[in-house]
Amino acid sequence: MSTTDIAGQIRAYVVGQFLAGEDASDLTGDYDLIESGVIDSLGLVRLLSHLTQAFDIPADDIEFTPDDFRTLDSITALVEAHAPAAVA
Amino acid sequence: MPSPRLAETVAVHGHQRPHSIALHYNDQAVTYGRLHDLTESLRGQLHRLGLPSGSTVCVPAHKTPQTIALLLAVFHEGLVALAPSPDLGSAARERIARQARVRQLLTVDADGVLDATPVAPDEDEAKGFATPDPERTRLLLTTSGSTGTPKIVPIESAGFEAFADWAVEEFGLTPGETAFSYAPLNFDLALLDVWTFLRLGASVVLVDKEKATDAGHLAALATGHRLTFVQGVPMMYRLLLEGSAGRPEDPATGAFGTVRHAIFTGDRLPADLLAPIASAFSGAAFHNVFGCTETNDSFIHRVDPAATGPMPIGRPLRGTEALVLDGDGQRVDGAGTGELLVATPFQTRGYLREELNGTAFTRIDGRDFYRTGDIVSRDADGLYVLEGRADWHVKVRGVRTNLQEVESVLAAHPDVAEAVVVPLPDPQAGVRLHAHVTRRPGTGLTSLRLRTHSGRHLPRHAIPASVHLTDAPLPRTSTGKPDRNLIKQNRLKEIDA
Repeated sequence: MSTTDIAGQIRAYVVGQFLAGEDASDLTGDYDLIESGVIDSLGLVRLLSHLTQAFDIPADDIEFTPDDFRTLDSITALVEAHAPAAVA
Repeated sequence: MPSPRLAETVAVHGHQRPHSIALHYNDQAVTYGRLHDLTESLRGQLHRLGLPSGSTVCVPAHKTPQTIALLLAVFHEGLVALAPSPDLGSAARERIARQARVRQLLTVDADGVLDATPVAPDEDEAKGFATPDPERTRLLLTTSGSTGTPKIVPIESAGFEAFADWAVEEFGLTPGETAFSYAPLNFDLALLDVWTFLRLGASVVLVDKEKATDAGHLAALATGHRLTFVQGVPMMYRLLLEGSAGRPEDPATGAFGTVRHAIFTGDRLPADLLAPIASAFSGAAFHNVFGCTETNDSFIHRVDPAATGPMPIGRPLRGTEALVLDGDGQRVDGAGTGELLVATPFQTRGYLREELNGTAFTRIDGRDFYRTGDIVSRDADGLYVLEGRADWHVKVRGVRTNLQEVESVLAAHPDVAEAVVVPLPDPQAGVRLHAHVTRRPGTGLTSLRLRTHSGRHLPRHAIPASVHLTDAPLPRTSTGKPDRNLIKQNRLKEIDA
């Protein structure tokens, strides 16, 4: 899977789950999803669970910090670093 | 936290029982000896800053052993700590720091190294705000209100001592306790589940904020530490039950059978939770406790797990007086419904912002009563039930949130013409906020830009979870007010669709 595909899938999930029905056309890769309340702590749990399943990430073996989920770019980087299927 | 005596008592524990555990934090166990060493090191570092005596400092209330040691050091050194939520937006934090005449913003890292950033004084911003008096208070909390500028509440040192004495007696607490601290450190709840237990020389399990919604983690933490005392909002109990489901347990004692006292607070406990809580906490007495930052706890009710119907808040706790005022401001005697006013032995002498105090507090028969803004019913036996709010407050994840204040923050964005915020039911958070916003013609405002603005001026829980942005004017009622009910109904239909 290419970086573009991963980024696109993650973006689609975040928009669908947390910005449903809203115009997200200006959602850039560096937009702060946490400071702006798009993803709250319950949302983090949902997102992590989704990433674990969608990209086969061994969540139990990785130490996460909220910074890993702060922007679409950082989430993509996290998935790339840990998903076995991802080839950068 | 708010008292010099507390700091001294914890220091004595450091000498007399250095190997007893004060704090559990993730995988660390911090003994009283270690807590004392950390505190002494931070006192030294504070000293080197050369602050004038009695200065106020801002300590964002990160829930870590290091921050707790820093606060103890501040109390020792005769300084006053303004301890806001670490999530408070930087603009709002800077504003309250200037209002409180804060000299330095202090944080401490995992190695116990102090970082100090001077705060530029601004007498214009501090105008109308009292200067905190270190003889009376060492701790300034902020109300969990949702406003861009939270209200600053000085916690009386003597009030904290009286409160800790009350709690120790009421619950028969001993140094053998292990308490579960779920709420953020900047909440008044920490006066009980952190500071009272440290004064006692007991152990406190600090729930790391980042893991506070992880049900499995919470349940493992609670069973692993053999808790004896638990306090929290309904969501915490729901998560604990979820996390313990399917775990091996002794059916005779339940998953949390070591707990002696379980306290419900912050929000109404959903009726369906009581029975499963009672079986999981089979050895516990249950208490519904009611309070707020301004007065600390004021009511307590011993909960019968078999009871049905709305859970009462009970009766005023020892030393507390309660009054009920009807719609005309007249005192209700005996059974009746109206706004609750309370006077507790623990309460603040007033907000730092002096002009707020005239309306928030009322002197009756020589005692200052706080107007809670809560509507209560009292039956003929003197038992109280909470009916709702007299104003615009709702609870989001147990945190009191003023809808009008959220609306005014949204409306302050230059591209916003009008904003309405409505509460929607949410199975996990209890309530979440939905914003319906009309933007000014010709502006390119997007919901993401509005969220960035909200994040800068509101604590996280108060940022609306969903935003509907439109160029159309708000729907109105026949009297010309925004039709909040229609907006809410429309949104609920959209979600169902």
